[in-house]
Amino acid sequence: MTQPASLYADQPTRQDAPQDARLRARTLSVAYAQASILSDLTLDIPDGEITVIVGPNACGKSTLLRSLARLQRLSGGQVLLDGKSIHHQRSRGVAQRLAILPQSPTAPEGLTVHDLVSRGRTPHQSALQQWSRQDARAVEQALERTGMAPLAQRSLEALSGGQRQRAWIAMALAQETDILLLDEPTTYLDLPHQIELLTLVQSLNQDSGQTVAMVLHDINLAARFASHMIALRSGEVFAKGRPEQVVTRENMAEVFGLKCQIISDPVHATPHVIPE
Amino acid sequence: MTHWTLRLPFVSLRLSARGSAIALALALMIAAGALLALRLGSYPLAPGTWGAILGGAGSDIEQMILLDHRLPRILTALGAGACFGLSGAMFQTMLRNPLASPDVIGFNAGASCGALVAIIAAGSAATGGTILLGALLGAFCTAVLVTGLAWRNGLQAERLVLIGLGVGFALAALSDLLLSRTDARTAADMTKWLIGTLNARDWQDVTLVWAGLALLSPMLVWLHFPLARLGLPEDLAGGLGLRLSQLRLTITALGIVLATLAVCSAGPLPFVAFAAGPIARALLRNGQPALLGAAAIGALLVLAADTAARMIVTLHLPAGVFTALIGGPVMIWLLVTQLRKGKL
Ligand SMILES: Nc1ncnc2c1ncn2[C@@H]1O[C@H](COP(=O)(O)OP(=O)(O)OP(=O)(O)O)[C@@H](O)[C@H]1O
Ligand SMILES: [Mg+2]
Repeated sequence: MTQPASLYADQPTRQDAPQDARLRARTLSVAYAQASILSDLTLDIPDGEITVIVGPNACGKSTLLRSLARLQRLSGGQVLLDGKSIHHQRSRGVAQRLAILPQSPTAPEGLTVHDLVSRGRTPHQSALQQWSRQDARAVEQALERTGMAPLAQRSLEALSGGQRQRAWIAMALAQETDILLLDEPTTYLDLPHQIELLTLVQSLNQDSGQTVAMVLHDINLAARFASHMIALRSGEVFAKGRPEQVVTRENMAEVFGLKCQIISDPVHATPHVIPE
Repeated sequence: MTHWTLRLPFVSLRLSARGSAIALALALMIAAGALLALRLGSYPLAPGTWGAILGGAGSDIEQMILLDHRLPRILTALGAGACFGLSGAMFQTMLRNPLASPDVIGFNAGASCGALVAIIAAGSAATGGTILLGALLGAFCTAVLVTGLAWRNGLQAERLVLIGLGVGFALAALSDLLLSRTDARTAADMTKWLIGTLNARDWQDVTLVWAGLALLSPMLVWLHFPLARLGLPEDLAGGLGLRLSQLRLTITALGIVLATLAVCSAGPLPFVAFAAGPIARALLRNGQPALLGAAAIGALLVLAADTAARMIVTLHLPAGVFTALIGGPVMIWLLVTQLRKGKL
């Protein structure tokens, strides 16, 4: 669980061997009022890796992430966490092992960064034990890691979009879970801040072996930071595997309807999409 | 912002210095307000004699004025205000909408309508118990009706507010109708159930509201922890391991009981439940549900309204008129700020 993820194409061995996965979806289906959103999805979120889910708008990426975090009512199949159906486990127990950051969340007015990050400790707290030493330490660490410590006493409204995003990530970090699900963590960020945030996620994964699954829209960034990719198309898994297996000319055409050339990124040796 | 950390073997807490200072200030204001209200009245009673009167000395008339009139009235005002404030803050926090308080979404109207029905049905046999039961039934039926009508793939606060407003108006009309069907004497007594007044409160009212508060306070302490997290978006709160449906049911039930206790002891005073939470949150400015603050502000609002009503004796205005005078501007302020943010 603690070995660093294989990030680049020159470390293919782990990917090809059968993978351990504490979080799995088995014939997962979701429907809203007859309309099928996800149908028969079977996939694993490999332990200790960074999985990136890509796909066009409205193909069901957020729904998949929500289902994996037992926030979504399923119409069929199941999600397994540590071998047991996630919907049959105690919410608190699940939240101690798995954290989710939804797409563009909003905070109550006036909440400070420190208070927001403290909320991440909820599954480790109770009405009586609201602020243990462990809580204080975890919040401190999360603020440090995300560089938010100097802004801890600011209220969330008084932050830039990028800083706010890092505050939310800090909250998920303070939860101290083995698995971290992030829905479009880079929205509202400019390119340097996107890279900064993804590098932070990468270092979390490498330093503490945290399993990460996230939704990203930028295929090139996805290919660069992922060790495992899942491409969704209208509620089905169209392709999964290493970035160079998923980011191919044919897949881009099929999944996104995008005509493109794929070159190898000269710096990171990951696949790079050049739209035609 | 300074914080204090409290750590005992089984309890740990983090308190903000600002919050504690505001709590202290509010407590002092309540004490001062209660003492002022106790002095107020046409029969002069010097504060120096209160101790003696409470101890059993003093003339019969002094005993009656202090112990049977002023004290129960003030204690009822404080208790009812606290219940209103708590109930309002709970609903507003849970539904993440400052307009969603029990007086706006029709629950108070339901309680007073239920109380009226109980009084009329029981006739001369009506006791405090029957009225409380009628009010509780009225409030719970209203809650079921309003949430049922507002339900569409889950509960949206905006729909709930608008439907609750409509149901509230319908229930107020029903109460008026019921009133017009009763004889003049009962009707005069019943104005309490329509506007809210603290005229002629006795120790029964005091016991009802304070015993209720005392019984419910352990649950309030317990609920404060999840409530502080329900202000987060639903997915996040769920992701943090809160059991949302179960919590919402508990909070709704508790909020209805609190609102009913207040309505039973002081009538459906308008705008107290609505205004207490936003005022407390504006004072604290920390993104917390501010339950304690809302209780204190609610108590102060009702005490102030009732004291004003007592001061302007010639007009015989019920306290509800004054809470509306205070709460109306708060509502306009909230509507304007909500609309500016593009959500109702
Ligand atoms: N509460 C809901 N009720 C009905 N339909 C919904 C609901 N939530 C999502 N959907 C539908 O489910 C489909 C998938 O939505 P989802 O949010 O999972 O897409 P997505 O891949 O995350 O899109 P995006 O890239 O825009 O974030 C969409 O067609 C959406 O309209
Ligand atoms: Mg999405």
